[in-house]
Amino acid sequence: MHGPKGSRSAIELADYRAALHAWLDANHEELAPRYPPPGTLDDHIAQMQRVKSILFEAGWMQLGWPERVGGRGGSPMLRTELGAAIAARDLTDPGLFSLIEVLAPTLIDFAPPELAAEVVPRLLSGAEIWCQGFSEPDTGSDLASLRCRAVPEGDARTASTWVINGQKVWTSLAQYADRCVMLTRTGPADSRHRGITAFFVDMDTPGITVAPIEMINGELEFAEVFFDDVVVPADRMLGELNGGWAVAMSILPYERSSCFWQRVAYLYRRLQRLVDVAPDDDRAAEVVGNAYLQLHALRARSRATQHRLAEGGTLGAETSIDKVLVATAEQTTYDAVRRLLPGRVEMDDGLAGEVWRGEYLYSRSATIYGGTAEVQRNIIARRLLELGSDE
Amino acid sequence: MIDADQRAVMEETVRGAIADALARADEGADVGAVLARLGWLDLLDGEPGDAVGIVFGALGATNASATALDDVLVSALGREPRADIAVLLPQFAAWDPPGRIDAGNLYARSLATARAATASEMLVVCGTASEPWLLAVPMTVSEVRAVRGIDPDAGFHEVRVQGSAAGATRLDPAAWRSALALGRRAVAHQIAGASRAMLDLARTHAMERVQFGRPIARFQTVRHRLADALVAVEALEATLTAAREEPNPDTAALAKAVAGRTARTVAAHCQQVLAGIGFTTEHPFHRFLKRTMALEGLFGSADEIVLDVGRQLLAARSVPTLIEL
Repeated sequence: MHGPKGSRSAIELADYRAALHAWLDANHEELAPRYPPPGTLDDHIAQMQRVKSILFEAGWMQLGWPERVGGRGGSPMLRTELGAAIAARDLTDPGLFSLIEVLAPTLIDFAPPELAAEVVPRLLSGAEIWCQGFSEPDTGSDLASLRCRAVPEGDARTASTWVINGQKVWTSLAQYADRCVMLTRTGPADSRHRGITAFFVDMDTPGITVAPIEMINGELEFAEVFFDDVVVPADRMLGELNGGWAVAMSILPYERSSCFWQRVAYLYRRLQRLVDVAPDDDRAAEVVGNAYLQLHALRARSRATQHRLAEGGTLGAETSIDKVLVATAEQTTYDAVRRLLPGRVEMDDGLAGEVWRGEYLYSRSATIYGGTAEVQRNIIARRLLELGSDE
Repeated sequence: MIDADQRAVMEETVRGAIADALARADEGADVGAVLARLGWLDLLDGEPGDAVGIVFGALGATNASATALDDVLVSALGREPRADIAVLLPQFAAWDPPGRIDAGNLYARSLATARAATASEMLVVCGTASEPWLLAVPMTVSEVRAVRGIDPDAGFHEVRVQGSAAGATRLDPAAWRSALALGRRAVAHQIAGASRAMLDLARTHAMERVQFGRPIARFQTVRHRLADALVAVEALEATLTAAREEPNPDTAALAKAVAGRTARTVAAHCQQVLAGIGFTTEHPFHRFLKRTMALEGLFGSADEIVLDVGRQLLAARSVPTLIEL
């Protein structure tokens, strides 16, 4: 049992947390951002890589990852704690930092072992940045309709190289990335989830063009990525031929456990920043109390999810509930900022205005990325409430 | 500590036993006797956190009326629970001690469970939360009236007490806080059980009710309402788990506030999905709706608790995380 206070693993985790925070306190100066806030995306990326390299050097980054990819073993909760501690201290953006949780497990579970052993340490140590090529212009919520095609040079079973043609979009950090974990169409055009194959592609391969997209908050965090006759060695295939759907689905447990716990830590930090400056009156008390209530319910749910995973459970459709709670709590938190600090988001050209405005606008994506709020409710209705097909 | 599997078995046992008793009884099942037979007081004595979860969840799910809340509070206030000792509850939507001592006399007017009608003695907490006093008074100095209210079956009574305050003893404020916390968790569990029951009723209706040639469960608006209700129920259950594993006044207060919000969300979605039949007394939905409305006010409703919690956050300028992995 991990959950109950006083159990062996809970004590170990509490000891680990205390040691981690003591170390972060002691190394605060070295870890703190070097740029004047709020900083550009270039600054944020450089900071993230610098923090990862410091944590890797000190041995923290490897905890919770398997030894066969250069990790130091132990429960995945150790890395969840690390990500949350980093987020709670505003040392890096959790959305960017937690990409590790989405990408590294895919390599560990599906790449040839020698490839995983070579590249995963480079991701953890901050030597590389990776991106995820899933979405396409005509493939949003309906991922199984993707069209970016991979064709073998020769027979699919024996080919030594594959050639990729097509386009990806909403690819976060593509312009910074060294590698891309991507899904391609390898079956007939209408083969849906049965004809998809995953590849691990070097971003400096000839034929790849990256065109950043300006987001609603002015940042260039994601991009369009074009593939024109991009040649990829067959040993870069992740998982089975036409087994890409399983690769895509395998990401869910990590995305919905560790990543969310980091997001929750970040949101508590944001509510703290609001509470630091909010007026001390009953209207403000009601607004912050309401946001706190939602964050607490989300934290309780996310905690239970992590414990279920750590105890060997599999995570599936029920994590759509976590996703709905994260999205709702995030938007409620930033709505609270807008209500209690009038003009800060809309009219303030100072530093606080810049920061809150960017984050407020970004928070509107919480009900869209990683499966829209509507898709989550469809999953809850069909899989958890067993309401049958809606067709 | 009872593990999750044992807890699930016990919940099922208690719920089944109560449901059987309710099904057999022609008029008014003695749910208290069922609980006594199942060893409720022993469980409360040994594992109070698990006890309130198991028993109040079952009471909520079956819409049964019982006076187990008196046992929870008597025990938390350091006395031996007995079937003839009742406790005066705080006033509806509040959580201050219900009694007032003035010039050697006790004055109180507040709510109690159905046990007030049969008990010989009542515990009354007086004063303020930071300086509480405890007094046990004979029911002979009380005026007791059954409250019909929105849910006559819930068994609430209004009690007026006026008598000598002799024998009042100082109560440790921490004891009052933990009694309040355990009471809040008990009621929140009951609301959770009732909320899931409302969702089950609405789900069944959505699957069976055919309109435009198909079950209404096929319509996305209906599906999304029920999905939102499930999200609310699951979030409430997670906060109750957190309150069991990290028991303190803060996690209990938040669980009670989440319970209030959940009941409103679930009731609104489910009543809309049930439509006409949910507006009648022919369908059992109305019983759960009314019960949760009565329960939401016990020990403070969501709105009052949220305001209180928000004031504390602003006063301390601090946002504590309360639970860790």
